[in-house]
Amino acid sequence: MLVEFELIERARGGDDGAFSQVVQAYRKRILGTIARLIGRPEDVEDVGQEVFLRLYYSLEQLRTAEVFEPWLYRLTVNAAYDYLRRQKRRQESRMSDLSEQQVMMADAAAGGKQNAEEQRRGKVREQVEALLEHVSEEDRILLTLKEVEGLSLKELEKIYRVNENALKVRLFRARQRVLKAYEAGESAREGVRDSKDTA
Amino acid sequence: MDRMNENIETQLDGLFAEYRSACPDPDGGVNFMPSLWQKIEARRNESVSVFRRLAQACVLATAALTLAMVILIPRIQTEPVYTATYVDVLDAAHSLDSAQLMDSGDLQ
Repeated sequence: MLVEFELIERARGGDDGAFSQVVQAYRKRILGTIARLIGRPEDVEDVGQEVFLRLYYSLEQLRTAEVFEPWLYRLTVNAAYDYLRRQKRRQESRMSDLSEQQVMMADAAAGGKQNAEEQRRGKVREQVEALLEHVSEEDRILLTLKEVEGLSLKELEKIYRVNENALKVRLFRARQRVLKAYEAGESAREGVRDSKDTA
Repeated sequence: MDRMNENIETQLDGLFAEYRSACPDPDGGVNFMPSLWQKIEARRNESVSVFRRLAQACVLATAALTLAMVILIPRIQTEPVYTATYVDVLDAAHSLDSAQLMDSGDLQ
């Protein structure tokens, strides 16, 4: 827990100052999770505000402060899912559909200003984003929470309110799909490398 | 084959870890909190105005119903006017019975 239970209790009781403190404490973590869940940096803040807005109006439904974090993650997952559903990510991205970050990267690459490290990071982001396209929005979120955010099955169980075995099955299937796509991508890259070598 | 699969699995884990560090936690702009409070206030005002509109609709509906009841109930609940006496009614009922009996031929 990043804050004391007492602070959450105060926020629950309608103390706006306490609520602001809770937001300040969790803001960075939640925005980071959202960034990795939705993959569009320019919309992270909006989705983050939606999460905290929902938190503000649902805080009184929270049974105890002990379950605050799973509760906040559930709100985050729901907001990210709603966003992804709205966006319905397109397969072929035109320039107008590129995220701000991608446009900036493209501009920088064109100007030759981008450094190697940022280029590498950009490639990693692109590769993972492309791999996650192979699963549904729900599975993308679940897989990201487990594999990227590092949440345990117990934590996911509390967030999703689903038993561990069901989660394991779902995660296994989603991971297999991503793995298959990764494998296919790798062998395609190998093929390109081999053909370059022989040429 | 197993070793190859294991290798791919490890590579994928590594890629996810790289993705984690390639997407650092953003802190949100300086306007994050003011903008959040604006949204909270806007939602609050919205729900207050919805409640107000709902309350106004309820008051209007109640007034309309009351008016309708005031006008309609006295018309519906008019007191029955008795033009015949109790004996007349009994007589009419008895004569009807007699006619039925006579029709069935029991008196013959």
